[in-house]
Amino acid sequence: MIAAALAGVTRAVGSVGAFGYFVVDCMRSAWRYGIRVDRISEEAFKVGIRAFFVLAVMAVFVGSNLALQGHATFRTLGAGNMVGMFVALAGVREVCPLLAATMVAAKAGTELTAQLAVMRTKEQIDALEVMAIDPRAELVGPPLVGIMITLPALTMIGIGLSILSAWLVAVYQLGVDSGEFLDLCLRYIKTADLLGSLGKAVVFGAIIAVVSGFFGLRSERGPRGVGRATNRAVVTMCILCISSNFLLTSLLYGR
Amino acid sequence: MTDPIIRFRGIHKSFGDKHVLRGIDVDLERGDTSVILGPSGTGKSVLFRLMVGLMEPDEGSILIDGVEMVGASEAKKFHVRKRIGMMFQDGALFDSMSVGDNIAFPLRRHTKLRDAEIAEQVALRLGQVGLPGIEALMPASLSGGMRKRVSLARAIVMEPEIILFDEPNSGLDPVTSDDIDSLIERMKDELGITFVIISHDIVGAFRVADWIGMLYNGGLIASGTPEEVKRSPEPIVRRFLSRNLDLPPLTREAP
Repeated sequence: MIAAALAGVTRAVGSVGAFGYFVVDCMRSAWRYGIRVDRISEEAFKVGIRAFFVLAVMAVFVGSNLALQGHATFRTLGAGNMVGMFVALAGVREVCPLLAATMVAAKAGTELTAQLAVMRTKEQIDALEVMAIDPRAELVGPPLVGIMITLPALTMIGIGLSILSAWLVAVYQLGVDSGEFLDLCLRYIKTADLLGSLGKAVVFGAIIAVVSGFFGLRSERGPRGVGRATNRAVVTMCILCISSNFLLTSLLYGR
Repeated sequence: MTDPIIRFRGIHKSFGDKHVLRGIDVDLERGDTSVILGPSGTGKSVLFRLMVGLMEPDEGSILIDGVEMVGASEAKKFHVRKRIGMMFQDGALFDSMSVGDNIAFPLRRHTKLRDAEIAEQVALRLGQVGLPGIEALMPASLSGGMRKRVSLARAIVMEPEIILFDEPNSGLDPVTSDDIDSLIERMKDELGITFVIISHDIVGAFRVADWIGMLYNGGLIASGTPEEVKRSPEPIVRRFLSRNLDLPPLTREAP
């Protein structure tokens, strides 16, 4: 049992080491091959289109829920109209960056992992290497930069839609004064908050692309390998995004 | 006088408890068509992957035209691989690209040729493998034999000095298999470069080979010209060859 536990720890340390090496290698490959604007814009567009609709739906309902919860909480304190502040702070600082990251991880991240794992099974990754083309630079580099560009934009769209839906629910369902809602909302959203959210989105984008690439390129061959790689990638992406969100929030607001 | 372009010395490779290659020493001559023959699961593919640096041996040295591949940097391996083309067992064509784009791919990545010149090269290579005018087709619409031919067209487009064929006859009907052998013979005459083939197809191997090495149980149990291998007294060789060549099987042979 102890031997099994030790083997597990050794494997985990090995995986972390391999992941670190992969991150460095991705950066080195990207630098060596240079920025390829056509591939990056293609990836950014693809990610944006794929995640937009599902993100829009989620943002609308998350905004509506924030309004309901915020109003229910503040009403007990006799300040139901403060819901605008709650929506602004929770939505901008925490919920929307993570929501957009989750959607991009679910749509673009899993697709990238599965695509790379299938390519590995079909020897297409080997074919690239034999052609002296670095698969990390060719297949991970462009999505990496593409997602890092698109995710902040999606986060901003999520923020806009969640506030809009929260306003609709607050004003038309809960009877909150429209002017007061918007006034509190705008008063509490600072430029630093928006920049913080954008920064978080860039970090989450990098995590999603690198984790997807890591598990996709290292997957076992065969359908089971594709499934396992995708599963491991999505779990790792979620854990890393949420834990790094805590670190970033601590850096930005923890003092 | 010998002029080996590929030299294996003392190659050992294990996967867990399975000792796949047990001290391989072999020289493959420049300009020859060398066939590494053997039953499935004897380490032929491992030998191929070691040759192009997709895998590292546990022990030994692999020289490609004097360049040591074992422990070489990624950049050095890529430099050597630019001189090697490979026809993959199932083609390893990129599913998202047309046949023309697949063949053009290494040219786009490694040369500064204009689109018209690339199109000209693609048409020339497709003509050479007997599939003119199929640039616009997608890999999914090709038969097994056509995929192998397109893979060969992609392998020769960079004018390599060595071409590796991974099981060129596997999964093909006898007629298509015969066509592939004819194509290999014709390409051998046209290109005059080094061909290395791994195969378990005895008829095809004896038809195209200048040199045959028989891999069994992790070691080369017979090697030489096709005539020399045919005369080998080794029981396993005789047992393997007797199925397809008119050789008398030995009655009291090793299991």
